[in-house]
Parts: sequence; structure tokens; C-alpha cells
Amino acid sequence: MSSGADIPSTPVWNDGPYSVKRYGVSITNCDSEPVQTPGCIQAHGVLFVLRSSDLTILQVSENAERWLGRSPQALLGQPVVGVLGASAERRLRSWLREGSTEHNPRHLLTLEATDAQPELELTAHTSDGATVIELEPPIPTDVSAPDYYALVGHSVGRLQGGQTLQHFCQTVTQEVRRLTGFDRVMVYKFHEDGHGEVFSESRRDDLQSWLGLHYPAEDIPKPAREIFKQLWIRPVPEVGAELAELIPLTNPDTGKPLTMTFCALRGPSVMYTEYLQNMGVKAALTLSIRRGEMLWGLIACHHYSASMQLPHAMRAACELFAQVVSLQHHAAEEQEHHQHRIEADRIHQELLAAVTSAGEFTAVAASMSHLLKVMQVGGAALFHERRWSMFGTTPTESELDGLRRWLRDQPSFMGSNAQLFATDSLSRHYAPAEGFAESASGLLAVPLAINAKSLMLWFRPELVRTLKWGGNPDEKPMVTGPHGPRLTPRKSFELFVQSVRLTSRPWQQFELEAANRLRILLMQLVVSQVERLTELNAELSRSNEELDAFAYVASHDLKEPLRGINKYAHQLLEDATLGDADQRKKLDRLMRLTVRMDSLLDSLLQFSRVGRVALRFEEVDLAEVLAEAVEIVEARQSEWPTDLLVQRRLPIERCDRSAVREVFVNLLSNALKYNDKPRRIIEVGYVVASGSEDSLDARQHNVYFVRDNGFGIHPRHHQHVFKIFRRLHGRDEHGGGNGAGLTIVKKIVERHRGEVWVESSPGQGSTFFFTLRCEEAGNE
Amino acid sequence: MSSARRSVLVVEDSDEDFATVDEAAKRASFPNPLHRANTGGECLALLRGEAGDGFLPAMVLLDLNTPGLDGREALAAIRSDVALGALPVVVLSTSANPVDIAECYALGANAYHVKPVQYPEHLKLVTELLTYWLTTSVLPELEEIHERQS
Repeated sequence: MSSGADIPSTPVWNDGPYSVKRYGVSITNCDSEPVQTPGCIQAHGVLFVLRSSDLTILQVSENAERWLGRSPQALLGQPVVGVLGASAERRLRSWLREGSTEHNPRHLLTLEATDAQPELELTAHTSDGATVIELEPPIPTDVSAPDYYALVGHSVGRLQGGQTLQHFCQTVTQEVRRLTGFDRVMVYKFHEDGHGEVFSESRRDDLQSWLGLHYPAEDIPKPAREIFKQLWIRPVPEVGAELAELIPLTNPDTGKPLTMTFCALRGPSVMYTEYLQNMGVKAALTLSIRRGEMLWGLIACHHYSASMQLPHAMRAACELFAQVVSLQHHAAEEQEHHQHRIEADRIHQELLAAVTSAGEFTAVAASMSHLLKVMQVGGAALFHERRWSMFGTTPTESELDGLRRWLRDQPSFMGSNAQLFATDSLSRHYAPAEGFAESASGLLAVPLAINAKSLMLWFRPELVRTLKWGGNPDEKPMVTGPHGPRLTPRKSFELFVQSVRLTSRPWQQFELEAANRLRILLMQLVVSQVERLTELNAELSRSNEELDAFAYVASHDLKEPLRGINKYAHQLLEDATLGDADQRKKLDRLMRLTVRMDSLLDSLLQFSRVGRVALRFEEVDLAEVLAEAVEIVEARQSEWPTDLLVQRRLPIERCDRSAVREVFVNLLSNALKYNDKPRRIIEVGYVVASGSEDSLDARQHNVYFVRDNGFGIHPRHHQHVFKIFRRLHGRDEHGGGNGAGLTIVKKIVERHRGEVWVESSPGQGSTFFFTLRCEEAGNE
Repeated sequence: MSSARRSVLVVEDSDEDFATVDEAAKRASFPNPLHRANTGGECLALLRGEAGDGFLPAMVLLDLNTPGLDGREALAAIRSDVALGALPVVVLSTSANPVDIAECYALGANAYHVKPVQYPEHLKLVTELLTYWLTTSVLPELEEIHERQS
């Protein structure tokens, strides 16, 4: 059903007065139906419009003769006293003098039966200054009329015990059904976007449940909602019953149609009637639930077995009940939110305790299943220290990365004053979200640190995933009215489902508040973790200093005796009297061991220094660095290979110059050392690689390599070669490395946040690769 | 010029290392006996004449890691003493740590040498540096300043 806004419709009745009886069928647009001035009444009563000053009959319903025995023509222009009698007329006049009659229907009296007319109940109110009289036959009751006020009092009592809004509304439907005897009573709740939901229901056991069904906003058009903002009760005792038009359609004094908002007899909207008929409803009663000026929902009552005339007293009781419900449901909702807050706070405390005792932010995970429940979400993801932790049903990690990149660029999300971002239709803001709408149509993004460095995301699934048509799938189609199956619960529900694709249940204020409280808590945790890290860092630098001192002492205290041993061995060896060749050999060996130990001590020192020395990151021409490294290696090695191939000039890279030179020196000397080919070939170069497309760091980066045609390394040793003092060859083979070179390479590369790895197999030579990502390292 | 003027003060707690210096002095044909201080503290006491007799060597051969007041502190004290400020101090240490090396030069060491572990090299180094400092280079005349102060 299209909305009134975009279709300029010229009503068929043009500018003349509307009559639902005459023109209703032509209505195609709910929002354009003049439901407050239908020009007709339900024919089970009679309606008069009187000039208030002299109580002359100005308009009368065309069915007057049936109830009063006099034709409208005979009544129009006559004083109403001729219909009511003198006493009733006096009562009416005195009531009109009391005031507060406008829009305030009052059951004034009962007209006694005469020869010409049956007994009739008289209700009066004024509308736009004219006096409106509604006459209805009394409802025959088998037993003496029940005490409706007592019944209402009892029902109101039952409302008090509600713990949740749901529970409260359940009680409402039960009590209204008990009070009125309708077959089905529903609380129909309007959501913020205007669509409705069957929020609670009490029904005859054999009826299908409609509980939890949602319907588009158009199902209760704006004009109808306007009426329910003013009216507590709206009975349609016989759906599809005959309508009686007013004669004339407009007030002759004003030329305007009668505003019938407050008339109990008002002719129902053609759409509403068709909808009810399509549902097989014989009688309907609607009560409004308001919050202040807002229409919160309706109590909709349907009767299927027969039409249902409601006595005046019962209507009054229902009206009172609707007013009480309106006053109390807010309290019930507040109570529910309060409970929710308490529960949320309890979990927050639990979480705080867990994190505090674990001393780790990731302990949040332990409380997560509780949190998902209390936040009423399907999943959550926490981004902290460059890692995602995911809980429940969430988009994939790469989808989360994309989402985080997008969030980072949102103005509201940047800077230190970052705000929550909540939406129930993420794909409307961020198109790629359509790809993961199932798990995350709703997003509540909570920044925990600036520029999305730390953040918490809550996800709500697409609403349609949780919506199900509750009824029997084999339900027989009914004969439907002129608008076809559109005006049936099932079709309407399907239309609603279509309309809410890619959206989730909306975020409510109290939920945002809970998220914000949790945010503050998490931010405190982040801060305290930063403090902890600072402490750890201080501790670490203390222990680094201790290591430094140790290495220093080791170098001195261990080297001093080593020097002494070497000296005595030397002197013994020089002693001419010592002629034993075997002993000379042992002394020689002893001296060489001291030299070896000296070299190990030096490596240990160098390694400990590589980890501690502050790196200075700058733009470095790696071609120059390579040339320097080659020079150093050349100076050390007696046999420089025949070929050093540099594929292309190495680029400029941000790194620490001397550290990276050390890397090249170590890799080049290894390439030379572990090679027995007659023609040693070393190849140095780089390739450009890009980070995985989905990762946050998708920048291209260089992968450098040093390749040799040497022995090669068996894959089972690939990891070992980077371990300190781990040697693959004998001590004195191949120039006798001390086993720290690659460990130092690895340490330097890691301090540049890069990686180093080897590809090699025996006899095939080795290629050492490394990357440098010092921009990141510079931010550490 | 007193005989002490031509002597060398060796600050060294290791007997082996002192013996190596002694051997080197013989090889360098250095006629006068070496003076030895075991610690930085002893070194300062000797230089300041706290034992009663003023003693001013031609140079100090300083080991860094000595018990008590260490070589670094002794160096700092020498350089802040007006009478001793110009005294040549040559550091001979086990440590090749760039931090130590930089620190010693900053404190005013005239040279820094790392002791090799291998005896022949060690001996060669000390012989050469004694020869260099005591014969090749020209050293300042400190006596008068010293006497004026005392």
C-alpha cells in the first residue's frame, strides 16, 4: 500500500462531502481516507446533529425511521424535543449548560419505549459547537448487569504484579478478554518506525496465535492513529454491518461535514472493515494505550463467532481500564529497564572482577556470553592490541577489518571525543555490510581509544531472521475484499518482512546507556592496562640493564681468567724443556679453546647489545648499506667470490642504518662461508609484495633476499638456524662461525617488525628473506 | 726530573695481567720499575701523595674494573684534579663495549685499548703502547705544576 506522500490523489468525491458508504470502495490509499468525517454511522443506532442554541435538528442519520418511526425529512428543522420528550430535553439542556461537553461523550439517560420507538440509550457530546446525540438500543442481558467497576478494580489489581512489560501486557490481554468476552485480545505495540507488533495475546484456545507478528506502519494509517490519540475506546459491534448516511452530509449552518471522532456510532474505515472481514472478525473493539501525547499501542479485540454489542457500562469500564493501562505500562517498562540496568551492572562488576583478578584485558571473554544476553545482541567483537576477539555470531575477521577502517574514517568516531555509533541498518551507511547482513544488520560501535585503535562492536542479526509466520502454513485462503489478500495478517506480515530486510531490532536508549557504561569500564581497563604495560616496560628495562651488567661482568670476569689460562699455556709451550709432542698438542688445544670461548663471549655480548641499543629510524639508501656490508665482509674474508649479483639497485627504506648493515654482513658472510662451489655466487635483490587485501596494513612492502649456491639447509633445520649458538657444522669447518650471526639477524629484523625466513634444501643453495616494517616499529 | 717522573703507574688487580705489563716493560727496555696500584682508590692515594711522599708518574695505565673505586671513577677524579689534569691516562680494559669506550674518552682518557685474550697479542699490544707513550710521544712537564700545588 503506497503512502499518501508520493501519490497525488484526487478523491473521486472531489471537493464534495465524503461518505464511506458511497465512496469507500474507491479508496486505495489508507492515509487519504477521511476517517474522522466518514459521513455515515453504523446502523445499529441513530445520530442527530443539533444546533446547540435552540436544539433544532440539523442532520439526522438516514435510518431514523427504523428506530423512531419518522423519516429524516419529517425530523430535519424540527426541535429535538419532539423526539426526546420534554424531560429528556431538559436534562440535555442542563447538561449542555454544565460545559465540558466538547469531545466528551456522556451517557445521559435512557429514553423509555413508546408506541413509536423502542427503549433507547442516549449519549451526547458537542463537536465543533454542534450538539451530537447518539441513540442506541440497550444491550439485552440475560442476568442482571455485572458490576463493571468492581471487575475493573479487580483487573487493575492484577496489573500491579508485573515484573516485565511483557508480563504486564500479558495480564492486560487476559483481563480485557475476561472483562469483555472477546475471542482474541492483543496488545499491539507501535515501534519507533511506526510498524506494529503483536506484543501479547490472549485468545480462544482453538485460534492461531499471532503473537510476535509484525505489521507495516500502513496497516494502521495515520488518520486512524490520530483518532486513537484522542479516543480511549472504539467499538465496532458488527463488522460489515449496514451503514447509515447522514442527511444532509454537511451541517447546513456551517457547510462542513460532522467530525465524528468521538461518536461511538462512527462509520468505520473501509480499509479497517475490509481487513476485519478478511480475518473473519465479526465484532471488534479497540482501546488505546498512550504515553503522554504519544500513541504507544492498542488493545485490539476481535470476536469471530458473532457480533458483539457492548453495554454502556462495559464500555465505560473498558475506557477506565485503558486509562489505567496507559498510566501503568510506563511504570512497568521503567521497572523492566531498571531490572535490566541492575543485571547489566552486575555483569559489569563481574567482568571488572574477572579482568582485575586475571590482570588481563582479554578476561573480558569470560563474561561475554552474559554480556551478549544482557545487550540482547547476536554477537560482539573486541578489537584490542591489533587483534580481534569475537563472540557469538559476527562477521568474519576480514569483514571486521573493513568495517573498522570505515569506522575509523567516520567524523563522529575520530578524535578523543569519539561517540557511540548505533544503527539498525548498517548497510544503509556502509554498503559492504549487505554481505554480512544476516549476522550484523544492527551495529553498535563503541570506541575505546582514539582512531578506533581499540573498540567494541555489538551486532544484531537481521530482523527477518528472527521473524516467523506463526500461523498454519496450510491456512486456507479466504474470500478477500476488493484489495485482495493485501489486507490479511499473513500478506501484511510478508510485506512487513520485505520492508525490514537488512535491518535489525533497533537500539533502545537504555541499551545505549548500558553500552556507554560498559565503555567507561572498558576504557578504564585499557588505561590501567597501559599503566601496567608501562610498569612492565620499566621492569623490562630494569632487567635489560641487569642483563647488560651481567654481560659486562661476564665479558670481564670470564675473560680475565681466560687470558691467564692462555698466557700460562703459552708460556708452558715456550718452555724448551717440554719436549713431549703429545703434551705440546694438548697445550695448543687448550689455547685454541680459550680463543673459542673468547669468541663465544663476544657473540653473547653483541647479541645482548643488538636487543638493547635504541634504533634510529631514518630513510636509508639500502644500495649504499649493501656496498658497505660488502666492504666489511671483503675485509674479513680472504676469498671473495667470483660473483656478487645485485639484480637491481636496492631501494630506500626506513630503517636503522647500522643494524640493517649488520643484517647484510651476517647474511653475506654466511653465504660465503657455507659454500664449497668453485664459483661462489651470491645474489642480492628484493621483490615487492602486498599485504593481504583484507588486512588493515594492505600497503606494499619489500621482501629482500640474499641467495647463495652453497650447501643448502635441510628443511628440518630451517627454524634451528635462527637459534643462538645452534650450529649445523663443526666448529672449525667453514671458517668456524660461532652460531650467533643469524640470531642477531633475526633480532634486528624483529626490532623492525619484519620477518626473516629461509628457503633452502641440501645441495640447492639457500635464500634468506627478510622484510622491514619500521614505520610501525617507529610508532611503538 | 726525578726518577719517579720516568715511572709508570699500573692500576691492575689481576696478577697475571700485571705480570704481562711487567714483561712488556722489559721488552720495551724500560729501565725503571713499574708502580702498581690494585684499585682506583690506591691509584688516587699514590698520585695525591696521601702516603706523605708526592709521586708523579709519566703516565697511568688504567684497568677499568678494579675492586672498590673503579677505573672510571679514578679517571674522573684525576681529570678533575688541577695538579693531575694533564697526566696521560691510557685505559687498558677487557671490555670492548662501545659504551665503556665512549665514556672513557669523554672522561678524558688519552687512549683506550682492549686486552686481547691471547697472550702473544696481549704482550705485543702492551709493549707497543709503552714504547709509544714513553719514547715516541712527547709528554707534558707536570712536576713544576705539581710542586707549585704542594
